[in-house]
Amino acid sequence: MPITKAIASTASHSDVYTPKSGVPWDEYLDASRNVRAHFAGLARDLHDLPPGELKRRAETARRIVDEQGITYNVYGDPRGMERPWQLDPIPFLIAPAEWASLETAITQRAELLDHILADCYGPQDLIRSAWLPPALVFAQSDFLRPAHGIRPAGGRHLNFYAADLARSPDGQWWVLGDRTAIPTGAGYALANRLITSRVLPEPFRGCRVQRQAGFFRELKNSLSALAPHAVGDPRVVLLTPGPFNETYFEQSWLARYLGYTMVQGEDLTVRDDRVFLKTLSGLEPVDVILRRVDDDFCDPLELRNDSMLGVPGLVGAVRAGNVALANALGTGLLQSPAFMAFLPGLCQHLLGEELRMPSVATWWCGQKSAEKYALENLAELNVRPAFRTRPEPALSPEEIRARIRFQPHLWTAQERVALSTAPSWNGSALVPQPIVLRVYVVATPNGYRVMPGGLTRVAPDGNMRLISMQHGGASKDTWVLSDAPVEEVTLLQSPSRAIELRRVGNNLPSRLADNFFWLGRYAERADATARLLRSTLLRFNPENSGSAMSLLTPLLRALELQGQLLPEWAAHNAEALEADLMGAVFDPTRACSLRNLADRLEHLAMLVRDRTSNDVWRVLSQLDECLTLPGEGRMLLAGEAIAVLNRLLMLTASLSGFSRENMTRAQGWRFLDMGLRIERSLYLCNFLDCALRSPEADNPSLLEAVLEFTDCTLTYRSRYNLLPDITAVIDLILLDDTNPRSLLFQLLQLVKHFERLPREKQSALPSPGHRLLIECVSRVRLLDPRELTGLSGGWHAGQTGAVLRDLLRDLPLLSDAIAASYFTHSSISRAD
Amino acid sequence: MKLQVSHRTRYEYAGPVRESFNEVRLRPVTNEHQTCESFHLDVQPAARISQYSDFHKNTVHFFELPESHQSLLVESKAVISTASIAPLLVATPSPMSALPDCVRMDRCFDFLQESTFVERSPEAWRLALDLTHDHADVWQAAQSIMRYIHKEFAYTPSATGVHTHMRDVLRDRKGVCQDFAHVMCGLCRALQIPALYVSGYLYNGPRDQLLGAQASHAWCEVFLPGLGWRGLDPTNNQPADERYIKLAVGRDYADVPPVRGHYKGNTQRTMDVEVFVERLDA
Repeated sequence: MPITKAIASTASHSDVYTPKSGVPWDEYLDASRNVRAHFAGLARDLHDLPPGELKRRAETARRIVDEQGITYNVYGDPRGMERPWQLDPIPFLIAPAEWASLETAITQRAELLDHILADCYGPQDLIRSAWLPPALVFAQSDFLRPAHGIRPAGGRHLNFYAADLARSPDGQWWVLGDRTAIPTGAGYALANRLITSRVLPEPFRGCRVQRQAGFFRELKNSLSALAPHAVGDPRVVLLTPGPFNETYFEQSWLARYLGYTMVQGEDLTVRDDRVFLKTLSGLEPVDVILRRVDDDFCDPLELRNDSMLGVPGLVGAVRAGNVALANALGTGLLQSPAFMAFLPGLCQHLLGEELRMPSVATWWCGQKSAEKYALENLAELNVRPAFRTRPEPALSPEEIRARIRFQPHLWTAQERVALSTAPSWNGSALVPQPIVLRVYVVATPNGYRVMPGGLTRVAPDGNMRLISMQHGGASKDTWVLSDAPVEEVTLLQSPSRAIELRRVGNNLPSRLADNFFWLGRYAERADATARLLRSTLLRFNPENSGSAMSLLTPLLRALELQGQLLPEWAAHNAEALEADLMGAVFDPTRACSLRNLADRLEHLAMLVRDRTSNDVWRVLSQLDECLTLPGEGRMLLAGEAIAVLNRLLMLTASLSGFSRENMTRAQGWRFLDMGLRIERSLYLCNFLDCALRSPEADNPSLLEAVLEFTDCTLTYRSRYNLLPDITAVIDLILLDDTNPRSLLFQLLQLVKHFERLPREKQSALPSPGHRLLIECVSRVRLLDPRELTGLSGGWHAGQTGAVLRDLLRDLPLLSDAIAASYFTHSSISRAD
Repeated sequence: MKLQVSHRTRYEYAGPVRESFNEVRLRPVTNEHQTCESFHLDVQPAARISQYSDFHKNTVHFFELPESHQSLLVESKAVISTASIAPLLVATPSPMSALPDCVRMDRCFDFLQESTFVERSPEAWRLALDLTHDHADVWQAAQSIMRYIHKEFAYTPSATGVHTHMRDVLRDRKGVCQDFAHVMCGLCRALQIPALYVSGYLYNGPRDQLLGAQASHAWCEVFLPGLGWRGLDPTNNQPADERYIKLAVGRDYADVPPVRGHYKGNTQRTMDVEVFVERLDA
């Protein structure tokens, strides 16, 4: 067939797309090797691409993933944090008629599962009338007894649901698994769509692909409708387990897309059976929680008491009907594969209908006949625990047999599934790979709605049995085609209501303020450290001795006090000292090395991921990259390190540029900037103190270094046009409030911030932190640097030295005072 | 018998704590054997107390203390009248052969399984079989198990803690009422006899002869097909009678601790418990 050939020729290699022998169903080619009708448009467009173009576009897709920072965390893998998301740029296509029947079947299944949940967490008639064996419910740790009897907001337990589908050899779809607790991946589906439509715009336009935004609008509306108390604009939050969760990226992406505040358990608190968000300006009521924390981790009081992720008292608040959880607590119950064996009968019983889409054939060994069948056919079946358990090492068939005989109800057996294949890009050509399709369903006031599209996952290396993102699979966009022209929907417009203009964003959770504050401190710490290291390296020369060395000493001493150099440096010879300085830049094990600072910065940025732009993210990943040593064990030259530091300073400068120019002056920015100002003041005082203690304090060469560190060389020259003089230098970098690098400037900025902080505004007297700050400002303002003129030693003994020492004592106290007033959530908790 | 109970639990924290959330299961049950005539729960610092009924139909009181505090007092006072329970005749027909049907009853299933502190290990199963092999009757079998525990296990306060698992008690052969109740639950469940854990009090009379008095007490109830749930106290080797006051039931201690809480702040604290049971109609 010409089109088949065409596809192959787009690849630079000569492989022709050939379904693997023995695979019963290929999504792209039919049994006689003709392109299936709904793939024809895509095939034609790919054929029309010039040679090498598809490869280029696949690389573009890869780059977008990197730049957007789309990641997936893999547990137990040292490199697992933030593994880039694997996207196969070739979409999976579904024909309109086929989708319509999938939609009906999945909607029915969601309805059925919701009915079963309502019974298990309510009257339990199904158990009493023997439709369900008690063991199936009570033996599961996912059956949450504290959730029994709670009527869910909106009347449904299952608000959000996903099903994993596969195509059987005869072309019919069946359900491999139900995701009823926390259906993950819809955010990744959204990201896949964004990228695929960008790298393959021609077929995306030509194929009439149904849009997904409408689904998310329904999700948003339905979640708002769950709010138990009628309010105009209910507050919905997304409860995340935190940045170490495998799908953290997706959660922050969804939160941003849906416009929800992303919170961790410690951001919420319960008062009088109502849930509140702890913000800088106090407690704010929360109406709906979109939950990404596992059912049993949600409340350390009534559920797992070792949970650090939950909110104590949450179950009580839900029971009192004051907050809605989506999904309701305990929905994970139906994720057990054992239920699949009962669905056809339950569907007839509860809905009076045939189950429209079969599940993969399942035997629950809690039934005698099923146990017998499973034991007899162990080798051909996929035997696994019926209920969620702790992961265990693989068992031998004999061990499994013994376990089944001892506690049969804990085991299920399932038929092994042959997956259909679809074309995937392997880097040079299109090859058939097995796929599983995850589809998403949301409950709306008018019934369940299915997202047109989904997350198609590709088995790695053609392995049919392990489709899991944890095992390194890729995914692709899913295009549901339409017969009619598609409707353009975007979440950004709200057609029915006039928008209410706002100048202040939603109130910042105090935990985020904390993270922003430290992000500011670490960003400035990296900047100041890089500056000081650069000044040192520029002056460092292995032949240095005597007076040259004594000029370098204040710089080295400042580095030591900041933790970049170990106190032993003073005893080192030039060569060891050079290695020491390299360590201060590149050694990840040294506590305050630049490399280490960059890691901490990245970690902090991850904690505020949903509040920072992609640009900031990109700068940080480059920062990390440029501090990675080029080769293991290779000696690095001082000159190369200076080049790295120069590049790093460009990056920290762009970071502060983004924060200055691109962040709105909301509370997040304010705390970021406060962190930055405090840190800059501390580093400045520290370095100046070291300089004044040096016997060379008035040496113009040392003063040059001081000016260089504070980036004031040009200003000084334009003003004085002579060699640096100690009094003039001190005046410029301590007292000149027009110089954005001066100490006084930092303190005055801090004063401005303090005056605008939420609780400072209301109180009559200044807070302890504010008081401390005012004291610091007056001390600096009253300083007269002319005392230094004409001295020939003991520069640090005067008033200037005293002021510096006072600041070095008070600034950390100021930081603590801010933490005490605004970040009080950060204390340990205990349960019993 | 008319009994009055007062139960004080006092926590002292080494430093200020806040955001303390607590639930208590202290209200005596009202059923055909006992009536809770009055109940008063006092919490200091003062807090609003709400209540609900948990999965096993126990009354739970809930309160929160968001503000900083350094001590917590939970005190309950109750007056209960209990009725005598007619002893079962030796020939009562509750055949062991009727037990396999219990697993299909929703009220029994939970009390046949493993739970936080109770397991159904092969060792427990063998031991239980040895103890009861000549019994065809559930009540007789359960009493054999009770007698065995009373005889072989040493009542040793402070040998175990509130979180001691039944398997450790089986190994060390010592513990307190909570541990004996767990062992009894485990041995019964191994034989498919539904067994639940009861938290409550025991009135020991003015003579202070019985163990587990002037403190919280714990014992078991076993399910007798055709007759229902009956209490057995392995600590004192006797069926539960009118001196027993039932507070709550569960699969084991983890379902029914009298006081459970979660707070933020200093993790160092001391706990002090006082229980008094008095007879009012003597």
